[in-house]
Amino acid sequence: MTIKDQAYVAGIYEHPTRRADGISTAQLHADVALGALADAGLSLADVDGYFCGADAPGLGGFSMAEYLGLTNLRYMDTTETGGSSYLLHVSHAARAIASGQCNVALITMADRPLAANAGPVLAGVDMSLVPEREFASPVPLPPVFGYAQIARRHMHDFGTTPEQLAWVKVAASHHAQHNPHAKLREVLSLQDVMDSPLVADPLRRADCCVVTDGGGALILTRPEIAKSLNRPRVKLAGAGEAMKHNAAGRMQPMHSAGVHSAARAFAEAGVTPADIRYASLYDSFTITVIMQLEDIGFCEKGQGGRFAADGNLISGVGKLPFNTDGGGLCSNHPGNKGGMTKLMEAVRQCRGEAHPAVQVPDHSLVLAHGTGGLMSSQHMAGTVILEAE
Amino acid sequence: MREKPKAPETLISAEAQAFAEAARRGVLVLRECLDCGDVHHYPRAHCPLCASRNLGWREASGQGRVYSFTRMAGRRAVAPAMIDLDEGLRLNSVVLDADVHQLAIDDAVTVRFQPDPQGQLRLAFTTPGAEAARAYSARAFAAVDADREGFAAGSAPAEVTTVAVVGAGNMGIGIATAFLKAGFAVLLLDQNADAFDRARARIAETFDRDVQRGRLGADAAAARMAALETATDMTRLADADLVVEAVWEDMALKQQVFADLDRHARPGVCLCTNTSTLDIDAIAAATGRPDRVVGLHFFNPAHVMKLLEVVRGKATSDQTLALATQVGMRLGKVPVVVGNAHGFVGNRLMIAREQEAGRMLLEGALPAQIDAVLTRFGMPMGTFEMQDMAGGIELSYRARQARGEKSPVIDRLFAAGRLGQKTGKGYYRYEPGKQRPLNDPEATAIIEAASAAEGITRRAISDAEIEDRLILPMINEGAKLLAEGIATRAGDIDVVWQTGFGWPEWKGGPMYHADRLGVAEVHRRLTALAEAHGARFTPAPLLAEKAAQGATFTDSESA
Repeated sequence: MTIKDQAYVAGIYEHPTRRADGISTAQLHADVALGALADAGLSLADVDGYFCGADAPGLGGFSMAEYLGLTNLRYMDTTETGGSSYLLHVSHAARAIASGQCNVALITMADRPLAANAGPVLAGVDMSLVPEREFASPVPLPPVFGYAQIARRHMHDFGTTPEQLAWVKVAASHHAQHNPHAKLREVLSLQDVMDSPLVADPLRRADCCVVTDGGGALILTRPEIAKSLNRPRVKLAGAGEAMKHNAAGRMQPMHSAGVHSAARAFAEAGVTPADIRYASLYDSFTITVIMQLEDIGFCEKGQGGRFAADGNLISGVGKLPFNTDGGGLCSNHPGNKGGMTKLMEAVRQCRGEAHPAVQVPDHSLVLAHGTGGLMSSQHMAGTVILEAE
Repeated sequence: MREKPKAPETLISAEAQAFAEAARRGVLVLRECLDCGDVHHYPRAHCPLCASRNLGWREASGQGRVYSFTRMAGRRAVAPAMIDLDEGLRLNSVVLDADVHQLAIDDAVTVRFQPDPQGQLRLAFTTPGAEAARAYSARAFAAVDADREGFAAGSAPAEVTTVAVVGAGNMGIGIATAFLKAGFAVLLLDQNADAFDRARARIAETFDRDVQRGRLGADAAAARMAALETATDMTRLADADLVVEAVWEDMALKQQVFADLDRHARPGVCLCTNTSTLDIDAIAAATGRPDRVVGLHFFNPAHVMKLLEVVRGKATSDQTLALATQVGMRLGKVPVVVGNAHGFVGNRLMIAREQEAGRMLLEGALPAQIDAVLTRFGMPMGTFEMQDMAGGIELSYRARQARGEKSPVIDRLFAAGRLGQKTGKGYYRYEPGKQRPLNDPEATAIIEAASAAEGITRRAISDAEIEDRLILPMINEGAKLLAEGIATRAGDIDVVWQTGFGWPEWKGGPMYHADRLGVAEVHRRLTALAEAHGARFTPAPLLAEKAAQGATFTDSESA
């Protein structure tokens, strides 16, 4: 079953806050749900499919359905794959709609690690119980250390440089200056990034995404309903997902699972990377972007650094503007999960509603991609291709 | 009586026990599938490749190579790394207790299990170089132990229960605390009875902190405090089985005190001095028992620092050394017998490093650059950060004042009220209540002004030059100590620097480091530095001799 042309994005809402003191996680979920419904012109009563990850508090989907006031649910999916969860939710929701299992699917994401002083962890995940724990490192290794190793090996194998990584951040900062909600709005020079202190050699603080509170919501619906709403129409052209892990000691870290999720999405949409006019790329770290540029097929393996350093990621300058809201590197990475915000900006671009300074002129076909987990070990990639109608 | 509720059973992996048993033998085991023949890590009850449950265990070589790595900030050397085992498996792990700043992709590594905070052994790796340095360190410590046993040979172990500590200043308080901690009764003597309140308060504070942190029971703390007695009356020395003097560093004063100690202490009781700079023989000459006089050089804070330099005067007997080293062991210290010379062993090397660090500040380096070179080298802390922590600016200023010497940088920092962490600024600045050194433009301006006043045009100094100018003079000084007989073995110097100054075990010590660089290479670099910067770098005759012979400092000894 294909989802091509079977589902439309009807509404989106990104929480404007970046620090949710005094706002509960449940309320954040409600804020974004109501925001997306208002954007779509739909009501809570219209929602019959609900999707959330482990950031949904309490009993997850149960708690949120009750808290939000969803009384007509007949489909629920609480897939959790870290930051890529919401790209998977879009794919799953579209498939549920296409197979007639729901009409209006609501996806919510929200968390408050800053206000809760929680650090770089995922809500609802107990790392102390992972089955490999007793055979793994004696010291806890936050995600930056995994990505730093990807970066070092990439440099070793392909000659990627710290400056090339820094160009990704420079590009993101050029976009963030136009986003009034961005956590970091200052335009950075290459030197600014290179002057940032090393956090996990070769990654610097500026190579890392921001830590923020907040979230977002997205509504998917059937073509007939989408056409009855008074919003620019964004239809789902294709989606793919893929998992990769240590494979009992057989991990090949220089290719992420994105190779396969993107290939599946392109096959479903019947398009190629060259057709994509804008990409929301997961940007937990600058190296994440470089790897995905290569794995999705926007450039050859090993050429991601050069691609970024040539200015290709900057809107109005390069071939493939990325993360024109400033992305996770500068604007928002709520709950240490960037998948929802990647979808938000991809939808804005596809509607032609991005900030005029960064809106791509031809927004017929855009892509959003997420990598959840650790690219150096277990991770799940999700790719979504959207088409303006 | 209510029964204690059962703790919930958490079984994470049923294979963990077998893995841990092998780990305790230092062996990494892999799960081997008896059907498909493949191995896997981490162990499961089925083969993740073919689903067979017909599994065995296979011992891995424990050897591998670095596929990739990064580095963690912090005092301990830790490099998160992906390791390619020789068996063909790629693991996410860490390389630790090794020179991670020299680590490179494809470097060889070897298994080194590490306990996690719960005490469970977990898989980690280290480098062969670090393993070799640890093996060397074990030999060097064993040689120090053998010395102690040699001194004690044939004599009955000394019975020491009551120790008199003379002088209730900072060192005296620390030394008294160390003895109380080890279960001795302590008689703290001072002419000034006003000093005792402060001394008691400080000692109680230390034990209270141990109680708060759960390291000591409240009863034990009370017993320790009860074992402390204070007195101004020197005749009370008759009660002491051992006397440790910790008065102000002044020869005339020390000689007068030792004459008193000799008069009041029972015959044959050992008289120890905590001097860090003065001549033990001159102090011993003030007594009628120079054979029973020995230096016990504690490092500040005396109840924490592991190193104890036991300073042998020319008349000090073996029995006295036996007693001093045995007492040192009971204190939980590493007692190293050294000769009688200014600075003894540890501080001699430290002074050589400090002088060069100070000179480089004037020439163009800044504290943060020099400290970063030292921490990348493997030291737990840079020299300027350490001075800020220990109040080194004030100590150095006062010592120089007493000798009528000037120091362009330290004098200026002192005049600006920059005394280190306790005043919130020194070589660095500090946020209130924080210990993290922050770069301070005001300190930079002071250093630059000092350079200008000395007529020095500041220049960029490379990290490599900084490292050579800090480390090589220490080696050179070590060679001089060996030639003078102040240090018996190169290994003793390395033990002193590991236990007293934080030189990492995985890097052996300054003399071991010289051998790894090659003594001829050290000689070549020192000669070049002497040409560029002056005769203070001129290689010591012993170093020149070893370089010419192709010999080493450490490899021939402590076998």
